[in-house]
Amino acid sequence: MTEGHSRPTRCMVVDDERMNREVVIANLRAAGYETVSAEDGQQAWVALDSAPDEFDVIVLDRRMPRMDGMELLAKLKADERLRHIPVIMQTAYASSEDVVEGIKAGVYYYLGKPLDRRLLLSVTAAAIAEHQRFLRLRDDLAKRTSALTLMDTGAFHFRTLAEANTLAVALGRACKRSAHLVVGLSEIFTNAIEHGNLGITFDEKAKLLAEKRWREEVEARLDAPQNHDKQVTVTFQRLPGEVRITVHDEGEGFDWRSYMQLDAVRAFAVHGRGIAMARQLSFDALEYRDPGNEVVCVIRDSVDEVPAAVDTDGTEAPEQAAESTVVTIPDEMHVARRMQCELLPHAVELEDALDRYGYKISGFFETSSALGGDLWGLEPLDDDRFTLWLADFSGHGVTAALNTFRLHTLLAQISTDRDRPAVFLAEVNRRLAGLLPLGQYATMLYGVLDVRTGLFTYAAAAAPGPIVAAPGQAVAVGNGSGLPLGVTRSANYVERTLALPPGAALFLASDALTESPAEDRSKLGPSGVVELVERVMAERGGDVDVDSILAPFLATVKRPLRDDLTAVCCLRPAG
Amino acid sequence: MSVKYEITDDEAGPTLLLKDQLTFADRDLFDSVIDKLMARNKSKMVVDLSALDYMDSAGLGMLLTLRDRAEKAKADVSIRNPRSEVRELLVLACFDSLFAIEQV
Repeated sequence: MTEGHSRPTRCMVVDDERMNREVVIANLRAAGYETVSAEDGQQAWVALDSAPDEFDVIVLDRRMPRMDGMELLAKLKADERLRHIPVIMQTAYASSEDVVEGIKAGVYYYLGKPLDRRLLLSVTAAAIAEHQRFLRLRDDLAKRTSALTLMDTGAFHFRTLAEANTLAVALGRACKRSAHLVVGLSEIFTNAIEHGNLGITFDEKAKLLAEKRWREEVEARLDAPQNHDKQVTVTFQRLPGEVRITVHDEGEGFDWRSYMQLDAVRAFAVHGRGIAMARQLSFDALEYRDPGNEVVCVIRDSVDEVPAAVDTDGTEAPEQAAESTVVTIPDEMHVARRMQCELLPHAVELEDALDRYGYKISGFFETSSALGGDLWGLEPLDDDRFTLWLADFSGHGVTAALNTFRLHTLLAQISTDRDRPAVFLAEVNRRLAGLLPLGQYATMLYGVLDVRTGLFTYAAAAAPGPIVAAPGQAVAVGNGSGLPLGVTRSANYVERTLALPPGAALFLASDALTESPAEDRSKLGPSGVVELVERVMAERGGDVDVDSILAPFLATVKRPLRDDLTAVCCLRPAG
Repeated sequence: MSVKYEITDDEAGPTLLLKDQLTFADRDLFDSVIDKLMARNKSKMVVDLSALDYMDSAGLGMLLTLRDRAEKAKADVSIRNPRSEVRELLVLACFDSLFAIEQV
């Protein structure tokens, strides 16, 4: 496909069961896509092989007769004409090994059965957007010469978005693995212009994108006198076994430690997931340098030889070794993180809650290196009440992440007693008890906030106590004790109540906040968390959100985090 | 730093003394400790936490695994003398409804 020859967006749906196929097709058609279906891998292969440029995404069942999903996937990935089409794998039996195997074989995303309609559509939209962007950049790529593969070192400067894309294509071409690299570089370069040189904040960007004014605003700021001479400097360095591309802008930098993960989460809400993912998939490591206006993208020649964790080695220049942190993202983390992020409340839901109830709700989610499984959510009950909850699974890795996925589904299935926290929690426990392996459990806090009274009625299963802080008043701490979820089939929970006076903040957090050691090895502990909330509340005169409350903690905590950190702040209007 | 442990036997059954910290890193070791306790084939066992300074959420999971295996072998597990932080964690998780918790 070249520009000017646009065709309708088309999805291939492969499933041997007619019902499943029809449900997926109906959803995709309703979203405005054309669909072509196949009953097994063999049939799909024939269709794709004869029209390789006609498809933007493939939704593929894993288990099928004749040629199954994994076989078709292998054939696709071995074919230069077809390998770039994103494949969304569907399966009823997603063991963690299956998921990892699929991702290694090149699956874009794993969807469980039964089908989550919202997830299908958001994943499909992101896959299509990424694919179309890939096609555009590939066309550009085809136009350039490959002389740059001979380059060992080089320095470049650019100023505009168009220049950024040109350079991304050229440098992508200079590396052996260039498929997703161009997209990732283009994203990093764009960031250097918009967030770095032009000082557009993340929230501003989200707003500009929503109003479709982003490009216009970037152009306008580029023309402003104070920005006219600002450049992004890129250096390219080919070392044995890897290429390092260093990107430096003239901005003030940013707090990359707290944004490294959060960025991706926020990106899902506004930009679609494709970009954030391309960035993660493009590079073997991203190293940010303080104050955050320089980043090194590391691309290794062979993915297979990448060790699990990498330190900056001693052979490099001393200034590079100083204050740089390597962030490696193994496959397993990709899967788990993507799954978790998708389950979190989207920005638009938080805005809806603000409009409807007047409460400003903000959430924070950062995964650790040894991944746990956290999840939080909110849901409107009626015009005066909404639910707010936070859960934390024990255990690590994909298993824990899959548990959060299970919990998400399970919560959606329980339609009764949502406004009775203790009863609801007992039901969640009953259903979860059969699902969790021995020794695994979840902690959870589930509550209902009534905006007429400002009362938060909650039940807890071994969760850190909820905290209520109001300007000029003593902090109130709730009681989070209760049997963890999934330990015994019959557990009873206690309903407790906390009052939020006008202007008060309700703060919930997973135990990573109390338990994570700072660089000096000290931990906040429960009392430290209460002091933190109280202090930030007082310092900011009540104008708090989850980021401002966590900021002092995030500034000193030892990275990477040992456990997932999730926190939610819910601010009652002062008036 | 991994957990340190001692198992002492008397006529009633084995006592497992845990020292320092019980965390996620100890799960394999703890599995082997459970094997050793179960091999005693007694109907009672005690987990002495008086020398344990810290336990994380994975530690709770390990105690639950011990309880489950003991239950299958029709044995009782009691917890003895948890201190400070560890005790608070057990209270938070309502472990007194799962184990007999003794303060002696």
